[in-house]
Amino acid sequence: MAHGAAAGHGAHAHGEHDHHPTGWKRWVYSTNHKDIGTMYIVLSMIAALLGGMMSWYIRLELAEPGIQFIEDTQFYNVLVTAHGFLMVFFVVMPAMIGGFGNWFVPLMVGAPDMAFPRMNNISFWLTAAGLVLLVMSAFVGGGPGTGWTVYPPLSSIAYHPDAAVDFGILALHVAGAGSILGAINFIVTILNMRSPGMTMHRMPLFAWSILITAFLLLLALPVLAGALTMLLTDRNFGTHFYDPAGGGDPLLWQHLFWFFGHPEVYIIILPAFGIVSQLVSTFSRKPVFGYLGMAYAMSAIGVVGFIVWAHHMYTTGLGVNARAYFTTATLIIAVPTGIKIFSWLATMWGGSIDFKAPMLYAIGFIFLFVVGGVTGVALANAGIDFALHDTYYVVAHFHYVMAIAAIFAMFGGYYYWIGKISGKQYNECLAKTQFWLFFIGVNVLFFPQHFLGLAGMPRRIPDYPDVYAGWNMVSSFGALLTMLGTFLFYYIVFHTIRSGKPAEANPWGEGATTLEWTVASPAPFHTHEVQPVISAGDHGHGGHGHGAHPRPAE
Amino acid sequence: MTTRILRSLIGGSLTGVGAVVAAGAAHASGMATPWQINLQDAASPVMERVHGFHNMLLVIQISIVVLVLGVLAYIIVRFNAKRNPDPSRTAHNTLLEIVWTAVPIVILVIIAIPSLKLLYFSDRAQDPDMTLKVTAHQWYWSYTYPDHGDFAFDSLPVAAEVLEAGQPRLLTVDNPIVLPVDTTIQVLVTTDDVIHNFAVPSLGLKTDATPGRVNETWVRISKEGTYYGMCSELCGVNHYYMPIQVKAVSKERFAAWTQEAKEKFAARPAPAVAAAPAQSIQ
Amino acid sequence: MLGAQARGINRTKLTAVILFAVVAAMGGLAFASVPLYRMFCQVTGFAGTPRTGAYVGTASAGAGAAGEVTVRFDANVNSQLPWQFQPVERQVVVRPGEEVLIHYRAHNFADKPITGTATFNVTPFKAAQYFNKIECFCFTEQTLKPGEDVSMPVVFYVDPQLFEDPNTAEVRKITLSYTFFPVETQAQQPSAGEKAL
Ligand code: HEM
Ligand SMILES: [Cu+2]
Ligand SMILES: [Cu+2]
Repeated sequence: MAHGAAAGHGAHAHGEHDHHPTGWKRWVYSTNHKDIGTMYIVLSMIAALLGGMMSWYIRLELAEPGIQFIEDTQFYNVLVTAHGFLMVFFVVMPAMIGGFGNWFVPLMVGAPDMAFPRMNNISFWLTAAGLVLLVMSAFVGGGPGTGWTVYPPLSSIAYHPDAAVDFGILALHVAGAGSILGAINFIVTILNMRSPGMTMHRMPLFAWSILITAFLLLLALPVLAGALTMLLTDRNFGTHFYDPAGGGDPLLWQHLFWFFGHPEVYIIILPAFGIVSQLVSTFSRKPVFGYLGMAYAMSAIGVVGFIVWAHHMYTTGLGVNARAYFTTATLIIAVPTGIKIFSWLATMWGGSIDFKAPMLYAIGFIFLFVVGGVTGVALANAGIDFALHDTYYVVAHFHYVMAIAAIFAMFGGYYYWIGKISGKQYNECLAKTQFWLFFIGVNVLFFPQHFLGLAGMPRRIPDYPDVYAGWNMVSSFGALLTMLGTFLFYYIVFHTIRSGKPAEANPWGEGATTLEWTVASPAPFHTHEVQPVISAGDHGHGGHGHGAHPRPAE
Repeated sequence: MTTRILRSLIGGSLTGVGAVVAAGAAHASGMATPWQINLQDAASPVMERVHGFHNMLLVIQISIVVLVLGVLAYIIVRFNAKRNPDPSRTAHNTLLEIVWTAVPIVILVIIAIPSLKLLYFSDRAQDPDMTLKVTAHQWYWSYTYPDHGDFAFDSLPVAAEVLEAGQPRLLTVDNPIVLPVDTTIQVLVTTDDVIHNFAVPSLGLKTDATPGRVNETWVRISKEGTYYGMCSELCGVNHYYMPIQVKAVSKERFAAWTQEAKEKFAARPAPAVAAAPAQSIQ
Repeated sequence: MLGAQARGINRTKLTAVILFAVVAAMGGLAFASVPLYRMFCQVTGFAGTPRTGAYVGTASAGAGAAGEVTVRFDANVNSQLPWQFQPVERQVVVRPGEEVLIHYRAHNFADKPITGTATFNVTPFKAAQYFNKIECFCFTEQTLKPGEDVSMPVVFYVDPQLFEDPNTAEVRKITLSYTFFPVETQAQQPSAGEKAL
């Protein structure tokens, strides 16, 4: 994709703006939101290959009972840990927030760039450094076999004596710092640099989703950073924050981790909501149904997301009243979530739907999100957690509702925007094949895991009792399909950049009403230098898909 | 390597599955069965209620998914660009928005009431007839019977190579927990190193073992039989290999077993200080 | 135009400064949670933390109370600590409000003096807020000489409120558990971090 974007810009020599650096300097020192966005996307695609290969290796090991390939079971734990970290911090977050966010938030709100372009550069390189540190951690000593939750005492110096966990902590620190800077950048940009007339209530829902996500990052990541720092000093400087022998409490870590961890899943899924809203509106050729309700439902999900964390801790020995509270609070989240689903359906209702690949992914997202949502409603209940906690039911649930749902929104976003980014349009037939391969794959992969979990198979195990063999084999076969689907996607990206047809400024027709479709494809190096003026008379509800007719700068 | 991958992904396990079906039949209760798609059989009051609650949830879950899928299917058929070339411009419908906020709230209340009932039932302090003390280690369990002479023993997994016919792999231990049926048992759970989790699905047991604290739960086993569980919190290299095996027997057999066990596992020495009666200061 | 732009820049800077302050505050909150969490547990009995301190019950409270509750004692020793540690009496039956003295016994097997410290909690958790410890060996570190055998007292009472709170009225057995850990010597562990905090 980097090549595509580079080629695109090269072809698009833009007279007066042509003084930007070229060659490696253009990328390393970049302060341009589009170039930085492209770098985030490339980083995410590299990390996805790593994280994906780990998960397929895991599924290969689990295809049949007995230890097949991974003789060193610590290495199995390292794979699970690295897969979780890579996917969450280095695939989904960089692609959605760093990649699409950087590319399209300034374009959509009519800003010439991000508020702090140099800080934007630093954010990216911190994320890249985090990725390097994380990969290194797997090769130090035995690697971190703690799971992505890093619970002490397993993560303490006594049980992970080499520096692997320290590398992991540093990786998260560095990437977290990058994300915090990025979040500040987005908030400042969205609050202060919108075009005249682009009021908050006219802003496209994708920009809304990034704004809310940035606030979640701002509130959640410092808590993780604090908790990680305490873990680091416990490991290396003799403190006892989490050590009961020294007056600490291992449960404190769990509270802090999940205070971060639950909002983190919304950090992953909110941008996906935003993307899906744009896709559904564009391809139904209708404005988003209940626009304000959608924006406020996202805000409500963000707020409530901070007061439900202990639903991950039902079996740790929480008092019954605390568990009753967390059950109730968690169930409440289903209400704004339901509003989102119904609003998407209502947006499609009465529409004139064009089932292009991005739309297929949006519909796939809705399906996965509903399936993951109803199992989430089950897991919310502390009373049933005796049966479900730490089983494959949980693995199935969070892949449906968060992991794979987010990947679907990402694929949708890639196909939707690849023309704008690279100047070339993808091949529809290949993309649809890729969708079906991936859609069938993930369902064959993760649906049987509900059965395994209900039947009691614990997660994070490299070998399992023989009774679980059947569904595990099915699940691993699904993983094979997702692997083919993923490779096909990489081929499509390659194919698009190499031999895709030139993309029009707006390949999607009248349904695509947001400002990025008013500039050429690929988007010129500098856009909106004279800010477009959005006026209510043009389009009633502004840029969120009501047929806006902004007056572009060029 | 390639052939191995292929074998394992395509056909290799079918023989394995066949063998499992045969072995599984001998252990119909107390563990999962091949191709099982739902919860393990219940053998305790809490697990029975979990079953009931989950059955209700399943109905709601399936209804919601079917509803959404149905609407999606209708939309796809009716509102595609061919059949509906002119999109409507409707973007609001206050009544509809109120309904789809209110109806989920009602459904959630319907879920929350039995859910909280189950939660409070599971937490209700019982007046236990006896105590089982569970201590987790990397990577085995040890069990203490403080009310039956305070004997204690370690329970280690049995390696696959020395399993006897009918003993399930990764679930069988050398010294199972023996417990009486129809007896309210207090279970105290703690650990000597990292966090583990003491879990027996059929009995509705799942409690973290956390260093520096003792967690309490309870069980009343309704049927004789053997019940299996696995450590359910990642605890290191052999996390997958620290099974829990519970043999539930009649009260008489339990009494006889404690006599044997006391000798077999030589009770810990009694405190040297003569047991002074508790003093009331007031 | 230029004025407006300058104003825009100032607003931008101001927003950024506020956001950085939020980050610092949330980071601070993570560290503040260490003492806050402990206080929260002590005040509410959360996670089975019993109350500690002087006797505050009324003498009349115990009189004529219908209920009795059995308090059972549990002991754990971390395997890093070469001690034996057990309750002397396994359980006592107490009336609400009654102040009770019981003993644990510890023995040091090692041939050198060793210091240990005990964590404790009460189950069921919900009973913890009505379980008051007046005196306990766990309030301080304990050092045992080689081969030494000590008897360690605990004085506690159960608040009569236990029987009135509908949430705990059914509780008839309370378990008090201790876990003894070795205290690392200064040489190995330079600082007691959170005490310094
Ligand atoms: C095709 C893609 C994927 C496959 C085949 C896959 C497979 C798996 C499997 C089998 C596990 C459980 C391993 C175990 O418990 O032993 C797992 C855990 C996990 N996965 Fe995925 N996964 C995929 C995509 C993703 C994505 C996109 C994300 C993130 C957004 C994700 C996030 C996680 C997390 C956080 C865990 C938990 C790790 C832990 O237990 O510490 N996965 N995955
Ligand atoms: Cu959560
Ligand atoms: Cu374990």
